[in-house]
Amino acid sequence: MNSTVICIVCPVSCPCEVEWTKEGGVTKVENNQCKLAFEYVEGELFDPRRMLTTSVPVDGGNWPLVSVKSHVPIPKDQMLNAMKAIGDLRAKAPIKVGDVIMPDFIGSGADLVATRNVAVA
Amino acid sequence: MSSHEQADVAVIGGGPAGLAAAAEAKAAGASRVLLLERDDRVGGILNQQVHDGFGTKVFNEALTGPEYAAIYEDRVNEREVETWLKTHVINVTKDRLITVHSDKGLRTIEAGSVVLSMGCRERTRGAIGTAGTRPAGVFTAGAVQNYMNVRNLAVGRKVVILGSGDIGLIMARRLKLEGAEVVCVAEILPQPSGIGANLVRCLEDFDIPLYLSTTVVEIHGKSRVTGVTLAEVGPKMGEKKGTRRFIECDTLLLSVGLIPENELTNKIGIITNPVTTGAVVDDSFRTSVPGIFSCGNVLQVHDVVDYATMESEKAGTAAAIWATTGKLPDADIKVSAGAGLRYVLPATISGTDAVDFTMRSWREEHDQSVIFKSGGEEVRRLRMPHMEPAGMIRVRVGKGRFRRIVNNELTVEVGA
Repeated sequence: MNSTVICIVCPVSCPCEVEWTKEGGVTKVENNQCKLAFEYVEGELFDPRRMLTTSVPVDGGNWPLVSVKSHVPIPKDQMLNAMKAIGDLRAKAPIKVGDVIMPDFIGSGADLVATRNVAVA
Repeated sequence: MSSHEQADVAVIGGGPAGLAAAAEAKAAGASRVLLLERDDRVGGILNQQVHDGFGTKVFNEALTGPEYAAIYEDRVNEREVETWLKTHVINVTKDRLITVHSDKGLRTIEAGSVVLSMGCRERTRGAIGTAGTRPAGVFTAGAVQNYMNVRNLAVGRKVVILGSGDIGLIMARRLKLEGAEVVCVAEILPQPSGIGANLVRCLEDFDIPLYLSTTVVEIHGKSRVTGVTLAEVGPKMGEKKGTRRFIECDTLLLSVGLIPENELTNKIGIITNPVTTGAVVDDSFRTSVPGIFSCGNVLQVHDVVDYATMESEKAGTAAAIWATTGKLPDADIKVSAGAGLRYVLPATISGTDAVDFTMRSWREEHDQSVIFKSGGEEVRRLRMPHMEPAGMIRVRVGKGRFRRIVNNELTVEVGA
């Protein structure tokens, strides 16, 4: 099969021309500017995943929210479920970048980690 | 009573550009570096950009905005840059006398060098002239990003987004994740303004429709938005008859562009480029006024923060060298944008070191080249599989190439 897959690894957004089969995987990638595209294209065709970035309310912090991310991408079709899973979550200051706010938050192996420092107010 | 201070380098604006410039100014030998920021924290718009994708060029990984900001905030602190928060710069003179206002009252700063890194503000409804009533519920996309990601405030339940700039696309996803219905994104141009990656992960992933060559012609509602009227536009942006349709919504987000905040630049009397509206600079990011430098989004709107950082590090270094030695290489070679390019930056170069030229094309182009010419001869050529106005083009030219320059002129153009 031939597909055009827009690489989303960086803002360049290379429109990759891909040859692939269900059995044999990706056989050819063209129109990409760097090699990060190969891994992305393979993943996008067989197991599409996305980073989840959102924020969680903080008690006692100098910011009302701490921004968070999944430390590794999660299955694309789990994004809205993941938001439900962390709907009632609250964090407590102080928080450092990289602190785990909720381990394995949807059972995919991804931890929810802080992306902002929040000091005690 | 007002106080008077002195600094080697004063950096105006503590967003990503100002942070990078201040950190490098210190590293390049300036003894006192002041970073002046009107907000109560540094980091600028990165603080509200909780999505990832920052740092792929500088750090080779995709960081979130707050993570990227934290790295540079740590850096200015480690290098003992003095940061003044909640400080408004109200005037800068040609002689680099800066007047600031804060809760400490009026203060003046005599600076060896000044770096202008004020960034942009968003284009608003007034700037695009939409007809209709004046209800609540019309926001710029960046304002909503601040409400949702910094202040923990929700803005509406059923949203239409006008403009397909990156902030608009990112807010479409953000609103959807937080449970709002995003009815559609309308873009007046025949092509999207945002990058391809965001069309995929923000719209396609969530089945949010994008209507091209379509705009909002009327906003409805008395106290709160009740809907908008969309219409298709023709090639000359005129409304196509018979294409009006009403869309029910309670919120309209505008993602219709950025305006560089060059009020201070203009007040100083610095020569600006009518295309970018930012200062005309040389390859040390010097403006037309000696000792005043400019970098980041106030100079030219970037689509990738990494490039704003790299540019600002150079500007900060040059500002420190100028403040401490008074010497920077003369930039006598004039650079102009030729066929196919809206602008090219810098406007003049010294030819003594490699230069990262930045530019934007007028149109989408495939399999063309960016060609540097002097005296009719090619100096450098770079093949570009794809160019589009939404993507800034960045081309490094090594100093060896500049030996081929004749008559101190260099033209950059798009060609086969």
